[in-house]
Amino acid sequence: MSIEFVKEYYYVICIVILLGAFLLFVRGFESRKPGAREVVILAVMSAIAVASRAVFVMIPFVKPILGIIMITGIAFGVEAGFLTGAVSALVSNFIFGQGPWTPWQMFAYGLAGAIAGFLAKRKIMGTDRLLLTSFLGYVIVQFIVGPILDCSSLLLMGRTMSKEFVFAIFAAGATPNGILGIATGVTLLLLCKPMVGKLNRLKIKYGIMEADAKE
Amino acid sequence: MKFTDCHPITNLVFYIGAIGFGMCLVHPACLVCSFLFALVYYSIVKGEVRKYLGRILMLFMVVSLINPFFNRYGETILFVYFNGRSYTLEALGYGLALAGMFCSIMTWFASYSVVMTKDKFLFCFGKLAPTVSLILTMVFRFIPDFQRKLQQVSGIRKSIGLSTSSGTNREKIKHGMNIISSVTSWALESSVVTADSMRSRGYGSGRRTSYSIYSFKKKDQFLLFIMLLLLLITLLCALNGGFTAEYTPSLYISDWDNAWTIIGVGSYFLFLAIPSVLHLIEEIIWHISRSKI
Amino acid sequence: MAHFEVKNLSFSYATSPEKVALKEVSVQIEQGAYITICGKSGSGKTTLLRHLKSVLTPYGERTGEVLFKGKKLADISERDQASEIGFVMQNPEHQIVTDKVWHELAFGLESLGYDQKEIRLRVAEMASFFGIQNWFHKDVSELSGGQKQLLNLASIMAMQPSVLILDEPTSQLDPIAAADFLNTVRKINRELRTTIIITEHRLEDILYASDQVIVMDQGRIVANDRPEKIGEYLKTENNDMFAAMPTPMQVYYGVPNKLKCPLTVREGAEWLELLLAGKNLRIREINDEKTLYDESQIKSPAVELKEVWFRYEKKAQDVLKGVSMKVPRNSIFAVVGGNGTGKSTMLKSIGGMCKPYRGKVKVEGRLSMLPQDPQDLFGHGTVEEELKEMLSGKDVAGEETLETVVGICEIKHLLKQHPYDLSGGEQQRVALAKVLLTEPEVLLLDEPTKGIDSFFKLRFAQILEKLKEKGVTIILVSHDIEFCAKYADMVSMFFDGGIVTTNTPNRFFSGNGFYTTAANRMSRHVFKNAIINEEVISLCQLNL
Repeated sequence: MSIEFVKEYYYVICIVILLGAFLLFVRGFESRKPGAREVVILAVMSAIAVASRAVFVMIPFVKPILGIIMITGIAFGVEAGFLTGAVSALVSNFIFGQGPWTPWQMFAYGLAGAIAGFLAKRKIMGTDRLLLTSFLGYVIVQFIVGPILDCSSLLLMGRTMSKEFVFAIFAAGATPNGILGIATGVTLLLLCKPMVGKLNRLKIKYGIMEADAKE
Repeated sequence: MKFTDCHPITNLVFYIGAIGFGMCLVHPACLVCSFLFALVYYSIVKGEVRKYLGRILMLFMVVSLINPFFNRYGETILFVYFNGRSYTLEALGYGLALAGMFCSIMTWFASYSVVMTKDKFLFCFGKLAPTVSLILTMVFRFIPDFQRKLQQVSGIRKSIGLSTSSGTNREKIKHGMNIISSVTSWALESSVVTADSMRSRGYGSGRRTSYSIYSFKKKDQFLLFIMLLLLLITLLCALNGGFTAEYTPSLYISDWDNAWTIIGVGSYFLFLAIPSVLHLIEEIIWHISRSKI
Repeated sequence: MAHFEVKNLSFSYATSPEKVALKEVSVQIEQGAYITICGKSGSGKTTLLRHLKSVLTPYGERTGEVLFKGKKLADISERDQASEIGFVMQNPEHQIVTDKVWHELAFGLESLGYDQKEIRLRVAEMASFFGIQNWFHKDVSELSGGQKQLLNLASIMAMQPSVLILDEPTSQLDPIAAADFLNTVRKINRELRTTIIITEHRLEDILYASDQVIVMDQGRIVANDRPEKIGEYLKTENNDMFAAMPTPMQVYYGVPNKLKCPLTVREGAEWLELLLAGKNLRIREINDEKTLYDESQIKSPAVELKEVWFRYEKKAQDVLKGVSMKVPRNSIFAVVGGNGTGKSTMLKSIGGMCKPYRGKVKVEGRLSMLPQDPQDLFGHGTVEEELKEMLSGKDVAGEETLETVVGICEIKHLLKQHPYDLSGGEQQRVALAKVLLTEPEVLLLDEPTKGIDSFFKLRFAQILEKLKEKGVTIILVSHDIEFCAKYADMVSMFFDGGIVTTNTPNRFFSGNGFYTTAANRMSRHVFKNAIINEEVISLCQLNL
């Protein structure tokens, strides 16, 4: 594959790589044969993430979706976090309209959940470190999720992708990403503890996830 | 048979072709075809095009005019700005091409959202990933319920003075989060019943099949064959340089004297026309048969 | 060979091992039988039912065994159990998994691995049998509660089970939808010889169809007999379950006689005729002590609606069409009427959740509303936290109020528990406590008896009376005619967006043709205005 070819079709190549990554992930998830309870919980969390938007229609920019995805990651780990994120993004695009950004958004949201899950496992994010968790939530959105979302606009650039243009795109995205990041941080600050508590109650009372894995 | 009534796989193959090629082919003739048919089909499925046309042309202008500011290549200088940076004709041409590609893809996606309903999407996806597609199905099932519940809880909390719709943004956010928290409790507790109901109906007891209300008809077979054939021809022409289009540093666009270009553009044109033509044929047939009622 | 055989089953939950959930339960169920299991909340009905299907069996300590068609249930594969043993649960909504009716019908068959052709046939069959072909392509969220429960039943019947287990399937439905559902169950039993094992709060609609009634109390089976015999046991043992039996049976055992025990209103009416045949009926009427309802006499009403008009959206239809009413202070005011007539909307307009576009709503004093789903008020980890949430920003006086309210609602023993671990009746009382912490002078109740068994209903009614004594005005909207007849001071009929008539319960119900209590329907040909069991009994005794 020549450099020319990559330059010419970089966007298509990116999408193909993204779709490939999804495929690998999905295959891994499917081959594990998740149980009914796990499936339902993941669906519930994704649906909450998408539906929660309706509560804040009157306050502009406040979208708790990423916060809720991260909470799922914190409670159930990397895989669950990624799946909830990707599913939430896909579903919300079914409501608000699909576009070339869909795979990017799925990937970015999935990544947010996965990172939260990863950091929770290392005991960096979690209910006992609310402020840090909330701050990291902001950081993840501002510096990882946001820039990936902005990538979808690189389609505008074609072969002539120059440093200036990439910089301009990211600069234009910085403010909205920051707002989204703050909203995520606030969501984590207010909801992380109660939501993780509720999820843990379910884990203990019904042995969800663990019990499913044993069956 | 209208394109919207076709089998989901037929729909999906078309959109993969249209959007995939749409992103790769920057030959002006291809861009014109793509944009044109995207708009025609958009107007068919949405029943409206004027408002959309206004918006999309605006976008087209902005993207095409701005692009040259970031593109330093090109020979024919139109004007110079800042510290000697040049705005070139070639870059403008490239901007136009990119804008055309961008707008046509946006337009294809707009009609995709109508044609590929969630049921159809889940059908295509169901074979590939049954569990994930079941999760998606459940999310679609839960969302209206959750939205209703969020509203209900919000109303109740307001009525007993636990929430307000007035107050500072800070208060509003706190109240909103409380509502979400309350609904999450309800949703998680009821999810246990849902899981029981699934297992009680044999979920996880063995190999799962997936039922669909779609059937793959003769017409779908035929259509799929035609589409794949046209895509193959287009691909062949592309590989043979039929769609060569260089904008910078100097303009070079493969001309009509190249046979690959003629065949390629022709097959691409036919391919993209399929949904609109199907619709037109159906309309005519319907018109004739209705007169017999 | 019995269809189901439970042998000496004892069980205690892993979460509370000290409490015995089932104790030495033994029962035999024949193919094609219709079995009713009844008992108070927490008597072990649900626990027993869940032992009849392995995937639903709770975790815990267990002895004894369950046999299905002569084989140990545990040895039968999950797949065979899924298709052979159908299980319908209480809540219609939570059982539905997919977003489309057609998909839901096919869900079980997909899980069992049937192919496209087979599923198509079975789904078509079921849709036709249950008459759901008209909503086959709909989204599940568009269906009513009754339709949802029918869909659950149909999607289970698609797997052609030989036994159908139903755990309080109609407790969340209105009476018409409930009767519809139970008729379908009876049809399945009659036409397909499917064994039915059902638990219910409302026994009026199922007892007469049962072949066998099992009464449970504290994890044991205390009675197992034919329906007409079961009352005798309950009466002599003075069992609380007697209050849940059909009206004719309760009246029968209230009057000393040697006739055959009636189960339905028709049998009850015939029994009354036989009982009073040849007797000279001196007293045919009870005196209605409640004052007549006269709007012009109500000087300062607690709530007044004047020509209230409301619709949910600009282009939607009117839901309230000029409602006018006056609710006298310090009374229990009940509004009855069918589904979708706008009763709940009227309540919301009093509560300020719906703003009428014309007319006036006047409320004297603080107002609070108890929602239909008590869970709408919950969101915390314990009952105590739920209640404390209401006190934020209040001082020491709040603590006192809290204690009084906890006392009134009788929830002291529940304070440390998780709200979702409580039974329906307990949740209701906790929700009421939360609402009462606003110290309302006017209390609105939306379907307060939905899904609650007869003992909790009684307790709830006592709480309402206590509140009334304290000067609270209570307005309730309900389908539960028996409850309104017994406890309300005034009853209004709501129909087509307005109030048709208002009267005292006795005058109101004895004036209605069939929108009235079972006691009135079985006695109206002999007595003039008896509407509750006790009244019929006392009139019978007076005339014997």
